[in-house]
Amino acid sequence: MLKFLKQVSDYAKDSFQAAKYIGQGLAVTFDHMGRRPVTVQYPYEKLIPSERYRGRIHFEFDKCISCEVCVRVCPINLPVVDWEFNKEQKKKKLNHYSIDFGVCIFCGNCVEYCPTNCLSMTEEYELSAYDRHELNYDNVALGRLPEKVTLDPMVQPMRELAYLPKGVTDPHDLPKGSQRAGRRPEDILEEIEAEKAKRETASAESEKN
Amino acid sequence: MGTVLVRNLHILSVDMESGIDLQGSVIQILGGFGVPAGLAKVIWMPVPMLLMLVAATVGVLVTVWLERKISAAAQQRVGPELAGPLGTLQPVADGLKLLFKEDIIPTRADPWLFTIGPAIVVIPVFLSYLIVPFGQNLVITDLSIGAFLWIALSSITPIGLLMSGYSSNNKYALIGGLRAAAQSISYEIPLALSVLAIVLMSNSLSTIDIVNQQADYGILSWNLWRQPVGFVIFWVAALAETERLPFDLPEAEEELVAGYQTEYTGMKFALFYLGSYVNLVLSALLVSVFYLGGWSLPIPVETLTQWLGVDEFSPVVQVITGSLGITMVLLKTYLFVFLAVLLRWTTPRVRIDQLLNLGWKFLLPVSLANLLITAALKLAFPVAFGG
Repeated sequence: MLKFLKQVSDYAKDSFQAAKYIGQGLAVTFDHMGRRPVTVQYPYEKLIPSERYRGRIHFEFDKCISCEVCVRVCPINLPVVDWEFNKEQKKKKLNHYSIDFGVCIFCGNCVEYCPTNCLSMTEEYELSAYDRHELNYDNVALGRLPEKVTLDPMVQPMRELAYLPKGVTDPHDLPKGSQRAGRRPEDILEEIEAEKAKRETASAESEKN
Repeated sequence: MGTVLVRNLHILSVDMESGIDLQGSVIQILGGFGVPAGLAKVIWMPVPMLLMLVAATVGVLVTVWLERKISAAAQQRVGPELAGPLGTLQPVADGLKLLFKEDIIPTRADPWLFTIGPAIVVIPVFLSYLIVPFGQNLVITDLSIGAFLWIALSSITPIGLLMSGYSSNNKYALIGGLRAAAQSISYEIPLALSVLAIVLMSNSLSTIDIVNQQADYGILSWNLWRQPVGFVIFWVAALAETERLPFDLPEAEEELVAGYQTEYTGMKFALFYLGSYVNLVLSALLVSVFYLGGWSLPIPVETLTQWLGVDEFSPVVQVITGSLGITMVLLKTYLFVFLAVLLRWTTPRVRIDQLLNLGWKFLLPVSLANLLITAALKLAFPVAFGG
C-alpha cells in the first residue's frame, strides 16, 4: 500500500514538474515576442558585405598576362583563358577570358595567386538568372564594377553584426558616426609603424653610443 | 430537490425578460407589416445560420492572420505585412490562391472517397457552431443536449480523415489518416469526461445553462476555479482533437510529408485548412463557454448596473451588455487561440507512443478521478458545486 502511494505521489510530482517546465518554456517564447525582429527585410534593406566578402570576381583585361595560374590553382580549372602567341612582340595576347559563376565556388584561390592582381573579389552576391548559361561571365561582364548597397537610394543599408558598436545587436537606427567595437585595422597599422620607428631610433641611438 | 426546482424556475423567469431576443423582435416587426408569425419565423431562420457561417469564416481569417503574426513575433520575424494594412489581407490572398488552383485527383485514388473526405471533416465542425452561445439569446439553437451534440459531431471528423487518408493512394496519407483516427478516438474520452464534470455541476447539457450557472458572482464563480484539473484536461484534449502542435503527428511534415493532406490541392486542401482553423476557434470558444463563463463579465452585469444606477432592462443597456458579452466571448476565445499558437512554438511534437500513453494512461484516469471527485463534492457541498 505504501509503495503504491509512493508511486502515485512520484507520478504526481513528475506531472507537476512537466507542467512547470512547459510553463517555463512558454515564458521564454512569450519573452521573445517583445523583442525586435532580427530579420533583414531584403529587397528594401540589405546588409553591407564585409571587407573580405568573397562575391562575384572582377577581372581587369589589360592587366592579364595569360599566365593561366588562375586555372592551375582553381579546384576545377574553371577560368577559360583564350590567348594566342604574338610572334612579333614575343608575348601572349589575351583574346577572351571567362568564368562560369554557376560552377564557381568562390574560394578565391585565383584571386590569391594572380601575379598581376588582375583578379579581385567584389561584394556582389545577387547572381540569380533565368538561364544558367547567363552566369557564364565573359571578360566584359567580369570587368563591370559591382553596385554598392550604400549608394542605392531604394535600399536601406544595414551593418553586419561584427560592424556594430559594442553591445548593440540591432542595425536599425544607429546613431551617426558610431564605430564598430574593437580597434580598426588602420589604427593597428599606425600603432605598429610607430612602434617600429621607435625601435629603430632606439637601436640607432645605441649604435651611436 | 424542491429548492433546486424553485431556483431553476427563478432562473427561467429571469431568462424570459433578460437578454436581447432578436428573433422575437424581428417577428414582431414583420408582424407589423402584416406577415403571419409562422412565415416571419421562416424568413428569420436562415439569417442567424448565415451569420454564424460568415462569423466562423471571418474568425478563421483572423485566426490565420494572428497565427502568422504571433509565430513571426515569437521567432523575431516580421510576418506578413505587404497584403493589406499589417498583412491583414494575407489569409484572404491565401484563400483566393487555393480557390484558383487546379483540382487534382491522383491516379488510382478513389475519387468518391477522396472528394467526400474533406467535406465530412468540415461539415461537423461548422455544425458544432449551432450550440455556441454569444449571449442569452444570441445562439442559433439552445439545444437541451448542446454539449453532447458537440461531442457527437466531433467524433465524425476522424471518419473523414480516415477516408481521405485511405483514398489518397499514398502510404504517408494512409498512415496520417490512421494516426488522426487513433488520436481523435483516444482524446475524445478524456474530453467527454471533463465536459461531463461540468455538466454534472450545472445540471444541464445546454451551453446556455452552463454559462448561466457560472454567472452569479462574476469571475469568482467561473468553472475554472471549481474545475482546474478538468480545465487543463479539456484544453490538452482539445489541442489533440484539433491536431495542434504538440499533437500534430497526423500531419507531421518531417515524417509524413503532410499526412492525410499530402495529395490534396486547391479547394479540397482549403477545406482541410479551413476545417482545422474553424476547429481551433471552436475549441477555444467552448473552453471559454465551459470554463471561463462565456459571455459573462468578470464583474456581474447586475452589480455593474447597480453601481452605475441604471435600469438593467432598459433597451440601451441591453444592447450595451449584449455587445459587451460578445466582446467578452471573443476576448476569452482569442486568448486561448493565442495560447495555442504560443504552445506551438514552445513544445516539441510528441511521439505516437507518448501521445497514446498520455491519452490513455494519464488523461483518462485523471479525468475519471476528476469526475468522481466532482460528483462527491456535489453531494458534499451542493451550494458550491451546483447541487
